[in-house]
Amino acid sequence: MSKGRIAIIGIGEVPTANRPERTQWDIIYDTCMEAVRDSGLSKNDIEGVISVTPQAQPKIAAELSFGKLPEELGLKGCKDTVSVNAGGASTSNSLRLAEQWINSGVAKTVLVQHVTVHSTVPIPDLINFFAKAGVDLQWEYPYGTTYNIIMGLIANRYMYESGCTPEQMASVVTALRSWAAKDPNSFFYGKDVPSVEKVLASALLNTPLHKRESNVLGDGGCAMVVVSAEDAKKMKRPAAYKLGDSVRYFSGTCVMRDFKKVEEGFRITAKEAMSQAGITKNDISLWNCYLAYPLAHPVVAEWLEVAPPGQGGKYFLEGRMSFGGDIPWSTIGDAPGRGHTGSGVSAACYVETVRQLMGKAGERQVKNCKYVYQNAGGGSGFNNIATIWGKEI
Amino acid sequence: MDLEMGKPVPETQPWSEKFWAGTKQGKLLIQVCKDCKSKIFYPRRFCPECWSGNLDWIEASGKATVLTFSTAYDMVEPKFADELPYTIAYVALKEGIRMMTRIVECKPEDIKFDMEVEVVFHEREGFFLPYFRPVKR
Repeated sequence: MSKGRIAIIGIGEVPTANRPERTQWDIIYDTCMEAVRDSGLSKNDIEGVISVTPQAQPKIAAELSFGKLPEELGLKGCKDTVSVNAGGASTSNSLRLAEQWINSGVAKTVLVQHVTVHSTVPIPDLINFFAKAGVDLQWEYPYGTTYNIIMGLIANRYMYESGCTPEQMASVVTALRSWAAKDPNSFFYGKDVPSVEKVLASALLNTPLHKRESNVLGDGGCAMVVVSAEDAKKMKRPAAYKLGDSVRYFSGTCVMRDFKKVEEGFRITAKEAMSQAGITKNDISLWNCYLAYPLAHPVVAEWLEVAPPGQGGKYFLEGRMSFGGDIPWSTIGDAPGRGHTGSGVSAACYVETVRQLMGKAGERQVKNCKYVYQNAGGGSGFNNIATIWGKEI
Repeated sequence: MDLEMGKPVPETQPWSEKFWAGTKQGKLLIQVCKDCKSKIFYPRRFCPECWSGNLDWIEASGKATVLTFSTAYDMVEPKFADELPYTIAYVALKEGIRMMTRIVECKPEDIKFDMEVEVVFHEREGFFLPYFRPVKR
């Protein structure tokens, strides 16, 4: 967790889309080969493979957990492989494990990958899985709650306390989709950005959440090649250096989650991660927030002190976090913009962080991108992991 | 796998069975630690504050306030679709604990933040789920 111990030097990603003919192994081959080629290394340089565990896909999860990937891809130098599962926090933990392997000498070069194919999972299986994942089966599930409702509970209280309006909330979708429209790997690449009016005109699923404020499930995958910061520097290639990492646990059960504790957790993890990196919030070039739902973005903008108290929604409505705005924010549009790939949205966010720091983000490229705040959380929000990544050590 | 269509009942643990037995008698029970005096929800095998196994139960007043709520109109599991619209809430009990519940016996538009509510038990396959309704004045 100390400054500059690891760096990501190669990335690979496929577009998020529902294409059932594209198998999980198609995606694994494409993303891993692209990442290794992007790193300038060869396949046999990979000494460790860490997979983000795919959710609701037991067959591929078992294949990855039990060691098939290095064999399938012919990674002759691989010394070990493992899967990591902390829901949406899996990628952060995969990168931490890669850091441990590199620093302890288990592996010099680690491949971290994620794959999800929702489109071939039978709909009843998806419903049965996502209805119960992250929801307590004794104290919550019997009442008929859903992820959408859990988000509605948080958003309603925030709107009540802050005065945030439905229009301001809806404008978050407009902001996130404005980035997605410029992202070739997004579900919504090149598509019209919905206006605030259009978001609010969509069906009300549960107060205050409209259909266009929820997520579309999609297939996708990505991979990253991780080496020590020292090795990355020697290679003289574009890289993203990990500079800070801080985490707080909140609760496993939604109803036990104290709103104040979550707020404090977001605030302190950001401060601790930035302190490790030796920077302040004014140095951040991009706030690449992974929050899954648009309704969480205004309050987190306030907790991160990007927007003043009570003005998170106003900032979004003014277009400040949109493509072309003055505050670069979630430049793949988080899950609402990218399409929801289960535990893979955070993996996609990390790839975007690296892409921005490498200067490869195309139309979405943040000018002079030097430091990125990247967070992730697992389950229904059991924790928050804040990380800082930099262009240089 | 087929879609599970039966309405779920709580998946209990040995140390929560007394809670559910209480609901059958119209009582909302709260676990308490006899050593550190903590009120515990949800029920545990050992006190989460001091790890004492010296636990007991008290009957809650059943009075609470609405901390937050969300009314569902669509996109719930098919097994709950026949109950739409319904309102899920977090309520804060006077005894200082928080529960997820349903708000019933009032229109969704009449539910307010910090509104006073009281427990009312709804039966489902032998379990009596604690729902809450507005306090009548």
